[in-house]
Amino acid sequence: MGSFMQRATGTLIIPVGVFAVVWTLATLDGASLFSSGDSLLILARATAVTMLTTMALAINLNSGRFDFSLGAMALASSTIGASVAINVGGGFPVMAAVTVLSGALLGAFSGFLYVTLRISPLVSSLGVTLLYEGLAFTITGGGNISFTQYPELVSFGKSLVAMTAVIIIALIGVYTVFDRSRFGSDYRSLITGQAAAVSAGVKEKGNAIKTYAVSGALMGVVGLIQASSKGLIEAGSINFSTIGIMFTAFLPMFVGGYIGRYSNDKLGYLLGALSMSVIGLGYSALKLTSAQQSLITALLLVVFLIFLSNEERVGRWWRKVKGGNRTPQQPSDTDAAQSVGTGAR
Amino acid sequence: MRITRNAVAGTAATVGMTLALAACSSSAGTEASGSAAADGGDAVETVKMCALVSDVTSSEALAFRDYYTDYIASEFPVEFVYSDELTDAEAEKTAMEGFIANNCQAVISFASADRPTQLDMAEDAGIYYAVATGALSAEEYETFKDYEYYVGAIGPDAMTEFQAGYDMAQYFIGEGDTSFGIFGGGIPYYLEMHINRAAGMLTALAEDGTTSYGGATEMGDILGKIYADGTIKIQDFESDVYELTGYLETWDFDAAWQASMAEMIAADPDAILAVGTGNAILGSAVDGTDIQIGDIDAYTEDNLVAMENGTLGFLAGKFTSINGPIFAATLSAVQGEPYRTEDGSAFALSQGYWTATSAEEFQEIVDADNVESPVYDVDTLSPFVATGATYDEFADFVGKYTFADLVG
Repeated sequence: MGSFMQRATGTLIIPVGVFAVVWTLATLDGASLFSSGDSLLILARATAVTMLTTMALAINLNSGRFDFSLGAMALASSTIGASVAINVGGGFPVMAAVTVLSGALLGAFSGFLYVTLRISPLVSSLGVTLLYEGLAFTITGGGNISFTQYPELVSFGKSLVAMTAVIIIALIGVYTVFDRSRFGSDYRSLITGQAAAVSAGVKEKGNAIKTYAVSGALMGVVGLIQASSKGLIEAGSINFSTIGIMFTAFLPMFVGGYIGRYSNDKLGYLLGALSMSVIGLGYSALKLTSAQQSLITALLLVVFLIFLSNEERVGRWWRKVKGGNRTPQQPSDTDAAQSVGTGAR
Repeated sequence: MRITRNAVAGTAATVGMTLALAACSSSAGTEASGSAAADGGDAVETVKMCALVSDVTSSEALAFRDYYTDYIASEFPVEFVYSDELTDAEAEKTAMEGFIANNCQAVISFASADRPTQLDMAEDAGIYYAVATGALSAEEYETFKDYEYYVGAIGPDAMTEFQAGYDMAQYFIGEGDTSFGIFGGGIPYYLEMHINRAAGMLTALAEDGTTSYGGATEMGDILGKIYADGTIKIQDFESDVYELTGYLETWDFDAAWQASMAEMIAADPDAILAVGTGNAILGSAVDGTDIQIGDIDAYTEDNLVAMENGTLGFLAGKFTSINGPIFAATLSAVQGEPYRTEDGSAFALSQGYWTATSAEEFQEIVDADNVESPVYDVDTLSPFVATGATYDEFADFVGKYTFADLVG
């Protein structure tokens, strides 16, 4: 794994580098990254949403399961939670509990369909996306759910403490479930060698369904945060409009994967999400238009993918520049083995 | 997760494919809404009328739809078929193809990404086409006004949109307000109505002698600058009297968008002038502050609550049954009596908004016009459906759209 310094450098170089660059650009422009009292809240909220989405995407993608229904699960679960809280009462605690539970059930159902139908997860998740968008549409009658008349339901998304707690709890929870439990051990063994794991008694279908359930629960929290911060749930479309949220997770996921070589991929997802949120604050501080923001974000993704695809070449160039000829620290065999495989299919 | 070239390439390919899938699917289906339920309709042929819509979620869009499918379809021999939410020109084209294949006899369009293509397709297919709550540009009108199957357009024209923004800013100026934030909505997408409304706001502010936007003080110059920039640059706003403390656009809700919103709220302007969806997007954020929102939206329950609690200070809204006359004209055309201007062209008629600045005015409007009891009811519309009415009579009917005209 390398020395502590190497691991610390590999883990922190991207978030610290991003912060330094964005902060410098903002300062040169005479702006501040934290110009309003809500800046920290926005940073924490954006980090929480992106981190949870990245984790929900990555835990299935690590097993080769591309899940397009993440956004639809967030939408449907928050629609169910908000509808119950508004119609039955109980305020935010009921909304939160129902939303997260609904997310887990929706995720488990998605996993059940996948293992039962035995079709490509890409195809089945597209169907599930429409199904869940349709569910939300049916519940709301095709309209929006507005919390204008229910201010008690929006306090969660406006609390810095709550957002920070979500980040910490989710990070510890996902780390524990996937890195420190029997379930996680089975999950990783399926990734590294499905046939061997099944021969050893691991139930791949049950593991896949549970993984989908965790993914759904994480997206339930995302739906909860978004609903309570926007004060609005838009549930009137059945046209794959919810797919977009997963694209916000790609760059943090790749960044997390890179950081994971030096520490832990879950921590990497957090730091990747934090980096993207800092960039978002930078966009605002620099007063970039939405078109400029989209362009820069796309460029960052492309540049990072080019870097990942040409890492060895970049390494050789860097060593040449430094004039040294030492062999760079490679990821450990264990790390590499953990991240290869197909998992439950 | 180990990142390999294959993983990177596979992900990039999948993202591309997904976007293509999403784009295609957005217009893949249509939903039949409403039914032919006219009294005694057994002997009358039911007209299949199809609606292209770019918005299916807002309260305004839902109210428009309910008016057609619940009220109109129960009073006239017509069946409505609605498209899915159409987000771009390609989606509109696909939906039009579906309508033509499904034997729609007329299309009422609420979608404006590519109206020329819609018009050409309708003309080629020989089905009537009408524009609701909108207008063609002057150039487009000159191009298409002689199309046989183009019925016409009724809705706020560019000047009406400009006036709505202007009136909003004037209202808050009249209240003594001097510091403003602006929510520009779809300006970066070159949404014409939003650009015109924002230009109206800035023009109202620029009537003060010390105030200008990028050096411009006149409507045309301000419009030109917004079109050139594709946004509003608050650093280009100069005034000794007024202050533009923040600007927000689009509906991204990402970190950058939220930070810009927080900055605009933190600047504590007297009012935020929104080109649309102001209360829905910003209502929760300004709750508990003294900031008032000016909005151009719809007469919904949420907006009423916001006006009651003081969050919403000004609302210009299309009333629920505003699309009654364009329906009447389209049905009349299908039944053989299209309205044409004196020179034989399709019509282009303007209608504006009803305005409320208090909860009492708001309630008065809601009581006067709703799906169950619209101002454009069957008795009002029937005289203009294939009854021999002239264009001038129809234009006069459409032109009397104000609250005072219709409600008294």
